Amino acid sequence: MKKSKVVSLTEAMQEVHDGDCIAMGAVVEDRRPVAAACELIRQGKKNLIILAECSLSEDILVGGGCVSAYRGTYTAIGAFGISPCTKRFAEEGKVVVDDIGHIDVCLGALATMAGAPFIASRTTLGTDVLNPAFDNVAKIRNMARNPETLPAKKYVLIEDPFYGMGTVQLHPAMKFDVFINHVQYAGEEGTVRIDGSLVFDHFAVHGAKKVIVTAEQVVPEEYLRRDPNRNQIPCTSVDMVVEVPWGGHPGQVYNFYDMDIPFMMDYVNKAKTDEGFKKWADEWIFDVKNHEGYLNKLGAARLEKLRALPPYGYRPRTKGGAK
Amino acid sequence: MAKIKLVPLREAVEVIRDGDVLFLGSLIESRRPMAAAYEIVRQGKKGLILLAECSLAEDILVGYGCAVAWRGCYTGMANFGLSPATLRKIETGEFIADDIGHIDIILGAMAAMAGSPFVATRATLGSDVLNPDYSRVGQIRKLARDPDMIPREKFILFEDPFYGEGQVKLQPAMKADVAIIHVQQAGEEGTARVEGPLAFDHYFIHAARRVILTAEQVVPEAYLRRDPNRNQIPCTSVDMVVEIPWGGHPSQVKGFYDVDMAFIRDYVKMAKSESGFQQWVDEWVLNIESHDSYLDKLGAGNLERLRSIPPYGYRPRKTCAGIA
Amino acid sequence: MMSEKFARAGDYTAAEAMIVYGARMLAPFDGKIGIIGIGAPLLATHLAKILYCPDMKMIVETGQADADPEEVPISIMDSRLTYGSSWQMGDPEGLFPLVRGEVDFGFIGGAQIDKYGNLNSTFIGTDYNKPHKRLAGTAGAVDIGGFAKATIITMAHQKRRILEKVDYLTTPGWMVKKWPEGTMVRREEVGLPGGPIAFISSMGIMRFDDETKIMYVDRYFSGVDPKTIKENTGFDIDISRAREADPIEREELRVLREVADPLNIYRTR
Repeated sequence: MKKSKVVSLTEAMQEVHDGDCIAMGAVVEDRRPVAAACELIRQGKKNLIILAECSLSEDILVGGGCVSAYRGTYTAIGAFGISPCTKRFAEEGKVVVDDIGHIDVCLGALATMAGAPFIASRTTLGTDVLNPAFDNVAKIRNMARNPETLPAKKYVLIEDPFYGMGTVQLHPAMKFDVFINHVQYAGEEGTVRIDGSLVFDHFAVHGAKKVIVTAEQVVPEEYLRRDPNRNQIPCTSVDMVVEVPWGGHPGQVYNFYDMDIPFMMDYVNKAKTDEGFKKWADEWIFDVKNHEGYLNKLGAARLEKLRALPPYGYRPRTKGGAK
Repeated sequence: MAKIKLVPLREAVEVIRDGDVLFLGSLIESRRPMAAAYEIVRQGKKGLILLAECSLAEDILVGYGCAVAWRGCYTGMANFGLSPATLRKIETGEFIADDIGHIDIILGAMAAMAGSPFVATRATLGSDVLNPDYSRVGQIRKLARDPDMIPREKFILFEDPFYGEGQVKLQPAMKADVAIIHVQQAGEEGTARVEGPLAFDHYFIHAARRVILTAEQVVPEAYLRRDPNRNQIPCTSVDMVVEIPWGGHPSQVKGFYDVDMAFIRDYVKMAKSESGFQQWVDEWVLNIESHDSYLDKLGAGNLERLRSIPPYGYRPRKTCAGIA
Repeated sequence: MMSEKFARAGDYTAAEAMIVYGARMLAPFDGKIGIIGIGAPLLATHLAKILYCPDMKMIVETGQADADPEEVPISIMDSRLTYGSSWQMGDPEGLFPLVRGEVDFGFIGGAQIDKYGNLNSTFIGTDYNKPHKRLAGTAGAVDIGGFAKATIITMAHQKRRILEKVDYLTTPGWMVKKWPEGTMVRREEVGLPGGPIAFISSMGIMRFDDETKIMYVDRYFSGVDPKTIKENTGFDIDISRAREADPIEREELRVLREVADPLNIYRTR
């Protein structure tokens, strides 16, 4: 009998331990596991180390006091400005930051997927990413529940012995205790089909000890297996599957719904202060109790106006939508 | 106006220069660029350095003397035995082999894809792949038209500074002058859709200076772009597209046709000797004017018996009497 | 009743015995992840999935995840492996799970094996540049044998194949070469996990001593004299622990011949 990996959101998020190194799938405001982030706050997680980026879903975690450090490449939310909580916490020294390049994140996840401890790169040469004064890796390593999830060094410079490329950076693998990925479709055994950008999810799912998938729809595994070339994550790399319709709201999920712009603007506006964030979190995380409460509060009519239209996969702005 | 990349096979193969490092897509007996390999033989290319494997498509190039060296991991043809011409020429010392591991090739192509000169790995540690007596990289580098396509060293051993993995191997990037990939469908601008295993094609298309696609079908680019997540090769990485139905025969092409076992068995048998190979290559390559004549010689009836059926994408063996 | 359940020694070929015992070896791996090499292991695994481990998660080095072919594949690239799999990518995605330590077992063939379970599939002879016999290369063998948590090996039992020392160490067994000197060391010393747990030949099943890591005969097939195994082995193999293997069942042969490979594509009979 094939094992079903479908569990509840509460159950899945219990797999995240205080002090874990986690990453959340996709980037900025597209296909983000926002419902999962809200549940982590409800469960009162502490001292999480965020890898890759601190954008929409991570910023909520930072505001909720779940995060102690971040290693990555981006602390903003697209057109909505700098991630408000991340900015505040970093400026107050409440979140330790270690900046690396975007390709560094990709190469780190790629190396982990390949089971390689490091990969050579010319990325970030000449920048302050390599400045030892800004290197917080050792500090963050001490904060991790599993220090060996993080590298012993940020990078090492050596001379390329093969192609005469000169001094290159040895960039360490990027590993995760837990990777949480929001996707369009998952089968009950964990096979996943993504529409739109894969970002680094197709690397990162192979670099994590535990992979949790939240999906707009859980569909029969057999349906996805009719076209294996169209799937991006194999069942063999997934531990848990949760069905969470609208689980990426207020971000967009290609072919399902468009972005809820007023909701995003309200968030970045409120989250600029501690009190503002607390008010927002009370309203949208704690008072609603769970994801269903969140959806009911948003209201069916509001959600309908966000629904993507074929053939676009989004909601053309001239034909109605989120405004 | 987007650039149309469609060219005839002859024109596409003309870009290969003697001494080039050449990668032929996919593996063993599936989705191999056979028609392209035949055309390389017809054009009498010389001094080619092959990458990755010496299987069905490459063996013909080795047999005809188009290739002088190879860096890779496999000189067999699965159930059909070892690659006959490659075997013969390695054993007589006419063809140079530099053996590396399967993961080494992947990491090499991956590094090239990422623009990295090398990547660390524990692959092949403990094996004779690391035996300095067996490295032929220096020799192959001298044979290449552009020596900089081949690394200066086969590998370097290095202590892992990050995760305490001990001594690991630095594996250099693997680059090609030309990659030829046979695919199911390509658009006129070069977007391609592959069915079945991608092998290393999705890495090597980014590790080659020039990429030639031969496709079972050239379909409207716009059709492929309706589902970008289903395409594996972007138009931005492709230089030329050639339409060649049955261009992978006698290998299998998922969704189009199954493997022609009798044909491959005949090849393997013939190519065991120099004279047998010559006879085979005369019959199936040199005395054939075009791919159309090749297909006619095979016969429409024979080809129909190989055609795959849905939903399998292959031909269930009980329905293909006469093939096995 | 006995005679109905079990086949007799003359009822099957040595190649068939190798496939059946290979399939049995996979029974404990139901629900586990295995990576299967080209050749005989593909057929033995196909038989095993029908008879013993239907839920074994088969990954293939050419990027099929949880492949479950309806017909025996002729090679690892066969479309039969794609159909119905969870995911169809390429070689990186097929092989990287090994290095990440996710693969419970590997199942591979070879051309030569030495007493420590090191395999050679590259060349036979002393001159690499002008080999006496060129073989298939490292293929996936070096990677599978290097990183799977356990490796099962299968090949025909011949004196010239089972040796004190292999001509070229393609796939690491228990004692491997530490470069640049090439000194023989235990595989852990170069950082390799796993190791070969069994070698199924056409005569019996060999295992490796817990202490010395040297190969010994654990089981001989019905109708095979352990002394014959000794005579057909290129080093002085220990047969003191050898016992007769559980005989092959008629049903196993029937499934192999009628279901697993009805067209005898693998030429086992």
